[in-house]
Amino acid sequence: MSENTDRNMIMLASYPRAIVHIDGDAFFASCEQAQDPSLKGRPVVTGKERGIISSASYEAKALGIKRGVSLYDAKKICPALVVLPSDYETYSIYSERMFNIIRRFTPDVEEFSIDEAFCDITGLRRIYRASYPAIAENIKRDIQKELGITVSAGISLSKTLAKICSRFKKPDGFTALPGHRLHEFLVNIPLEMVCGFGPNTVSLLTKYGVKNVFDYTKKPAAFAEKMLGKIGSELWRELRGEAVYGICTEKKEKYLSISKSRTFTPPTGNKAYVKAELLRNVESACMKLRRHFLSAGRLAIYLRTKDFKHSGIEAKLNRHTSSTLDFAAVSATLFESVFDARLFYRASGIVFTDILQEGVDSRTLFDDPVKIEKTAKISRTVDEINNLYGKYAVHIAAADPAIKRKENTYARNDLARRKTALLKGETFRKRLNIPLVKLK
Amino acid sequence: MENDVMRTAVKSLSEFYAKAKRMPSYSEMLGLFGVRSKNAVFKRVDTMVKKGYFHKDEKGRLSPGRLFKPLKMLGIVTAGFPSPAEEELVDTMSLDEYLISNPEATYLLKVDGDSMLDAGIQPGDLVLVQRNLTPKSGDIVVAQVDNEWTLKFFQKRGRDVYLKAGNKKYPAIMPKNELIIGGVVIANVRKYR
Repeated sequence: MSENTDRNMIMLASYPRAIVHIDGDAFFASCEQAQDPSLKGRPVVTGKERGIISSASYEAKALGIKRGVSLYDAKKICPALVVLPSDYETYSIYSERMFNIIRRFTPDVEEFSIDEAFCDITGLRRIYRASYPAIAENIKRDIQKELGITVSAGISLSKTLAKICSRFKKPDGFTALPGHRLHEFLVNIPLEMVCGFGPNTVSLLTKYGVKNVFDYTKKPAAFAEKMLGKIGSELWRELRGEAVYGICTEKKEKYLSISKSRTFTPPTGNKAYVKAELLRNVESACMKLRRHFLSAGRLAIYLRTKDFKHSGIEAKLNRHTSSTLDFAAVSATLFESVFDARLFYRASGIVFTDILQEGVDSRTLFDDPVKIEKTAKISRTVDEINNLYGKYAVHIAAADPAIKRKENTYARNDLARRKTALLKGETFRKRLNIPLVKLK
Repeated sequence: MENDVMRTAVKSLSEFYAKAKRMPSYSEMLGLFGVRSKNAVFKRVDTMVKKGYFHKDEKGRLSPGRLFKPLKMLGIVTAGFPSPAEEELVDTMSLDEYLISNPEATYLLKVDGDSMLDAGIQPGDLVLVQRNLTPKSGDIVVAQVDNEWTLKFFQKRGRDVYLKAGNKKYPAIMPKNELIIGGVVIANVRKYR
């Protein structure tokens, strides 16, 4: 664009900081294709067990099949679609491997999500005897070579810019944006591409004549601050090439929420059964809390009706806990206020929020410490028994019908291959931590 | 960043201790840490005490803590020899480390078929395959020939590359088009019970 002359330059330097963003391409579907090469080049989606697509390969995306589309609709578009159950165990192994490969290059790696990483390679040119973009391309190449999946990478001066770059060309893309090219590049970037600009922000900025990211960076700092507050001015600086946000190298192990939900077919109006399903989810979510040594202070339960409407209710506990009995009692009460005998239900779920590390004591003066200790002990004992004899070997009586259902109509097709074709010595609960490639 | 500082500080202290067999004084620590103020030394020491690297008594004197590398004692010589077991300061490795050199690029494959029988690979065996290796002649590889994946010996003769089965029943394969190598077999695991 001729209008954007050197006069408009934002920065003269190339890489005062070198931040790389690596983003897996259709990560879950790609992992499946890497594990089973016969799926390469074919439309593959994951999410069979929940009826909604959670990841679609680029071949499927080309047909208009995206994340969030129901399997029923997707099959209508493409009858030859390969539908696979989610195999989070395998995806997290691939994810961990991806982060480890990046860590070979630099210790400053942030695990942003299961398939996204930021890393800082500033100052590494000397030891690799290569330019920053060349180092970033090497990271990308190693990941692709060793994992057999493709990723898109972007390198620039800040996290926000690096992320725009990795999204700029996908799949298998690589985009390097040095400081002295910011003004040329950002003119062509719509505001929606900025991580942190939602539809409302975009509409607001458009009203003030800000049409693209370049326009935003050319507004005075006070404009960003006034329109969008602190975040707005931080993004303004990030987009102008200043690395405001640091790389957070701590492993993401903080759970913001823990949830469990399950669909049951056919839809039913049987109160005892719907309650059993809910309590089964409560039991399962509590086990997860304890497995990660956490406790929760808030819970929400929800029921989904036959026509996909949700009704739910939230409650705050007077102290944090991870005991199944505590949550079961509260959930049963909440259930009474949500359940409508005239309706048919198809799913139930529970969400725990306000999560703390276990051991943080939030007892009040009026709690009965002996009783609290006793219920905690029951939970610990139940966990020990279930570890020995299998999940739900001991469970809440009211959840029994739902747990029995699992045994009767086990949807074997909805389980990941890794969980059904066990290797010698593996169990349903514990498998080798190496992906199993399938060649036939 | 903070951790790096701590690590080097702990390392230099443990080196000093190993050599001098005593803890350094605060002024000696100035040199060890490469700082100029005793306050900086004091702060670092305080953090390390909190982390359990060493203890501090009421008088402020330091002694090595539980995370500190102990001095090597090769047994007490009373009238004989030091215990050979304690002198043997060998490192061990897990079976994982022994079998796998690049954990990020290594995958499992369950063997199907008898084409590598004479090479000692039976149906049902679990082979470990490394993706990012360049095959040498004689390596066992996972390769794609005419749209089918197989396990074969990778053979080079001059400039020609061909695949040989480890079983006389099967003929050698000369790839007509492109030969895709999925990985090189680095180990075979057979679990009996």
